[in-house]
Amino acid sequence: MKFDIDRYKEIIDTLSRNRSRTFLTGFGIFWGIFMLLIMLGGGNGLKAILSQNFAGFTSDAVIVGTNRTTKPYGGFKRDRSWSLDQTDIEAIKALVPESGIVTMMDAEWGGSISYDENTYNGIIKGLSYEYAGVESPQLLFGRSLNEVDCEQERKVCVIGKRVWSNLFPNEEDPTGKYIKVKDSQFQVIGVDGRNSGININGSPDQSVVIPYNLMNKLYNKGGKFDILCMTAKEGADSEIMQEKVRGLLCRRHTIAPDDKNAIMMLDTKKIFTIVDNLFKGVNILVILVGLGTLLAGAIGVSNIMMVTVKERTTEIGIRRAIGATPKMILSQIITESIGLTLIAGMLGILFSVLILWGAGNIVSSMPDISSGISFQIGFWTGIAVLALLVVLGVLAGLAPALRAMNIKPVDAMREE
Amino acid sequence: MLIELKDVNKTYFGAQPLHVLKGINLGIERGEFVSIMGASGSGKSTLLNILGILDNYDSGEYKIDGKLIRDLSEAKAAEYRNKMIGFIFQSYNLIGFKTAVENVELPLFYQGISRHKRHTMAMEYLERLGLKDWAGHYPNEMSGGQKQRVAIARALVTKPDIILADEPTGALDSKTSVEIMDLLKDLNEKDKLTIIVVTHESGVANYTNKIIHIKDGVIGQIEENRAHDSVKFGSEGPLK
Repeated sequence: MKFDIDRYKEIIDTLSRNRSRTFLTGFGIFWGIFMLLIMLGGGNGLKAILSQNFAGFTSDAVIVGTNRTTKPYGGFKRDRSWSLDQTDIEAIKALVPESGIVTMMDAEWGGSISYDENTYNGIIKGLSYEYAGVESPQLLFGRSLNEVDCEQERKVCVIGKRVWSNLFPNEEDPTGKYIKVKDSQFQVIGVDGRNSGININGSPDQSVVIPYNLMNKLYNKGGKFDILCMTAKEGADSEIMQEKVRGLLCRRHTIAPDDKNAIMMLDTKKIFTIVDNLFKGVNILVILVGLGTLLAGAIGVSNIMMVTVKERTTEIGIRRAIGATPKMILSQIITESIGLTLIAGMLGILFSVLILWGAGNIVSSMPDISSGISFQIGFWTGIAVLALLVVLGVLAGLAPALRAMNIKPVDAMREE
Repeated sequence: MLIELKDVNKTYFGAQPLHVLKGINLGIERGEFVSIMGASGSGKSTLLNILGILDNYDSGEYKIDGKLIRDLSEAKAAEYRNKMIGFIFQSYNLIGFKTAVENVELPLFYQGISRHKRHTMAMEYLERLGLKDWAGHYPNEMSGGQKQRVAIARALVTKPDIILADEPTGALDSKTSVEIMDLLKDLNEKDKLTIIVVTHESGVANYTNKIIHIKDGVIGQIEENRAHDSVKFGSEGPLK
């Protein structure tokens, strides 16, 4: 078929001849595309907001905690409490080859923290510098704990965002200043701005992080701690590692091997998988609903085109009489249908992208949500939707076009 | 022989089969100006449809310029119509949302002629028919006579072998009818165009050089009308 400006002029002529009908028909397609993209974009945005809660947390951390035993074993009664200690870390590092980072976390709840007149009741956490590999801090000022801080048991601390804003209401850089934590003075070396949805032993924004070795001595911990955080080595199977760690801890602390409750293990990967699957499900639902709406719109276009063809029987008959082949008529009707769906669909894309952009901006400017949350659909999603529109246009135009094709010039003249 | 029909039969199969054309034999030479006259139901419309390759026939032979027109595909029929036949209809059959010049361009568009060239050609024909100033107007802005002249321009623009006019004055007043018939006569004489007019009005038929009477599906009398005296001119004038 030749490429001719007139073909497009012709389509615009036909579509603009009956504006209100064209508008209403196009609206079906417009609405379908609009809803599909708004829902897809909304899903993207929600996911972005939710995954912000996991920001900084490695996706394959294993958190090990202690509980009272629930079974008698090795001469001990049940309901015995036990603690993890530093020798466990060395044992795991030595005996479980799959283990990567193995580090402790201990916390003192309800420690009063003060600077000048300002006091805040927060959590004092004892960590090793290695903990950054499990949960990386988002530093607003300064640095996090390093190896030397831990080795030399320096009296330094990294404070959480809320601690900082309470102690330093003017929001100045606190690094180098000395704050009082319980009865000791600590030098602030950094501020962690994280506002994570995952709290292990208390929210990071209410915490003051000090070297564990120092905490061990200051508060007479005797090398014991609450929680052990670890990751698997790259390429190693986390499940196997977890089994080995469980077995090792059972032996070292005389716990029945089948006492699952005594050793609490949390695999963050499982949580991430659940959230991922949830969003996959939401996406499938969105696509189904969106495609349904779109299909209804396409059927609307097809219906209207059918009526149009009926109305234009005479015109099509004239065209046939003066030399249009059935193929030319077919391509004309299908091009009209594609034209209508494309224009309406592109308006739908345009409006939904604008609204998603606005939504992204509004959400990003909200407090408690870090900026840069995007509701936007991907470029390739847009291209796919555009391709879908063309396909829908062809399908919608097919039945009316076949009908138009079968109009005989004689029928047209008989109409009058 | 430009048009040759040999024993052409056509039956419409409905609830009651209707034998419309019962063995039509007809020959028309190039450059002739003939009319086919008959009452309604005589089969003249069916004959026109067959002559215009708008409809098929059941048996017999129809040749244009030696080419057998039979069992053509829709695409081939459309091509022949486009190149060999120019139609003039009673109700003009112009496309309402196209201007006069666009209507005239349409057959050339289907021939695949470039935009610029077909515009020039269409304007040329409109000018010949005295409609140059009306080129940009839509059909509903024109009088019946003007519309029919646009339709004639559209029929002429492809330089067809045959002009088929189906009741060309049917919707026009008598004054305009005379103008249109004079125009057709002029085209026949000056451009040596073969023109076939289908009509039931003897006044219209009288303009042509040969009148073919059709009745009940057969050709009756073929009347030479060089003298244009087949109708008595009375006080009512030549037409109607």
